[in-house]
Amino acid sequence: MLKNQHYFKVVSNKKLTARLCHLVLSGKSFKAKIKPGQFIHLRVSSGLKPFFRRPFSVFRSKKSIEILYDVVGGGTKMLSEKTKGTMIDCIGPLGTSFCMPPKKVKKVVMVAGGVGIAPFLGLSDVFKEKKYELVLLYGGRNKDYMFNLKEFKTNGCRVYTSTDDGSVGVKGRVSKLFSKINGNPGEIFIYTCGPKPMMKSVQSFAQKEGICGQASLEEVMACGIGTCLGCSTKTKNGYKTVCKDGPVFKLDEVIF
Amino acid sequence: MINLSIKIGKVTFKNPVTVASGTFDYIEQYYKASDVKKLGAIVPKTVTLSARKGNLSPRILETPSGMINAIGIENLGVDYFINEKMPKFSSLGVPIVASISAGSNKEFVALAKKLDKVKAIKAIELNLSCPNLRNKKLIAQDQKVTKEVVRAVKKVVQKPIIAKLSPNVTDISEIARAAEKGGADAISLINTLMATAIDIKTRKFILGNKSGGLSGPAIKPVALKMVYDVAQKVKIPIIAMGGIMTADDALEFIIAGASMVAVGTASFVDPNAPLDVLTGISAYMKKNKMKSIKQLIGSIEE
Repeated sequence: MLKNQHYFKVVSNKKLTARLCHLVLSGKSFKAKIKPGQFIHLRVSSGLKPFFRRPFSVFRSKKSIEILYDVVGGGTKMLSEKTKGTMIDCIGPLGTSFCMPPKKVKKVVMVAGGVGIAPFLGLSDVFKEKKYELVLLYGGRNKDYMFNLKEFKTNGCRVYTSTDDGSVGVKGRVSKLFSKINGNPGEIFIYTCGPKPMMKSVQSFAQKEGICGQASLEEVMACGIGTCLGCSTKTKNGYKTVCKDGPVFKLDEVIF
Repeated sequence: MINLSIKIGKVTFKNPVTVASGTFDYIEQYYKASDVKKLGAIVPKTVTLSARKGNLSPRILETPSGMINAIGIENLGVDYFINEKMPKFSSLGVPIVASISAGSNKEFVALAKKLDKVKAIKAIELNLSCPNLRNKKLIAQDQKVTKEVVRAVKKVVQKPIIAKLSPNVTDISEIARAAEKGGADAISLINTLMATAIDIKTRKFILGNKSGGLSGPAIKPVALKMVYDVAQKVKIPIIAMGGIMTADDALEFIIAGASMVAVGTASFVDPNAPLDVLTGISAYMKKNKMKSIKQLIGSIEE
């Protein structure tokens, strides 16, 4: 009954680290343009286990659709076992996308935690052509959660990393890197995606400094299209669905 | 030609397949209108007299073969529903069954009166059984209260009244009988089963509302038994729901005595489920050389 439900073929599905995987789906029949920040809703099993679909931010979409995912439980484990040529039931693209920064902005800072890096490659592709100073602050628990940032560097990002155990970059939380968000607050724009406590720290830093931005949220979802109201999250403007009103929200709007 | 039409009160539905309340909203950017038009009826999410914010998150969680939800009837109130949502639903030309919930008979009557005036609404479903409103007792857990609310609404509206019942009772057929006595034109069952889940790391309830309602294929066998039991006790039509994923599931309910079937939770996983159910029912009837759905309803061999 949906306009945007498709069956896509797995082109490749590779393990990048002990935790992170990269899935490429053939998007030939896909007409809708996917904007950075939007997600796809995959049915990883045609049976009843796992029962729900799984939502994933689109990592990159040019000729194909790519996602980056962390193997956190049974559903993502099943996804990691999909071999080349398998068909996957996909609804998407869904949800809101990142906006372009206001006119005055000269510096764009992306703050990502773990697999929260996923929506930012597509975003940095967009900024590549534009004259922003691009900064990526990226943190994870340890090296297993850290994605190779070569393509971000190719897109002109200055990259700073941190891990809780110090196995990559600075030892500690990504908030240790906030000193890199320097300059005239009106000329900076922040995008963040990752665990809630991390985004909360980004929000309080931005509020203190007077910097605007956007946050991409994650929630357990059933329908993915705004009908069940199951993924609703608290915002200053009342409950909003992460799947349809989001996943991208104004940074200062979200109540973490 | 197979006749799939079903009559509830004075209203005829072109086929027996509908969607369960709270699982479908006609969002134009996502749905193919041409597909939605094939449904026998649409039951939008329950509305209340005034707006409700809904429950704290998390509101849903996945369970083996199902889910627990505690949405808390988040909605913008009946006036918003009539003015903003109904025009979109009306554009489909599918009969709308408005689902309502209220805290008192007076509120139920006020809601029903408003909705009775809307042309595209063909019937009114009284949600007497939402487990997520923090009431001490559900209306559908008391025969007398159920009968009284149905009677109060029936007295003031022209459209058929459907009473939606809870499985969280000792004997659902007794409650169904009470609704029938109160003047209900149909019974719908079952609403969700009260359920919860605990996070062992934090030793807290997972849901913001502490508990919620279980739905999905996990509850199908329970729902089927209840539909069968109610069918033995009432003469009015039954609209069955509870874990219907496929046409085979729906056929079981019809054979057990249901006149209509609603696909709910399945739509979240498989948005085509309601249409696949409809196609599958027709195919089964054709294969078994049945001309009318009435031959199938309650055709269980005992």
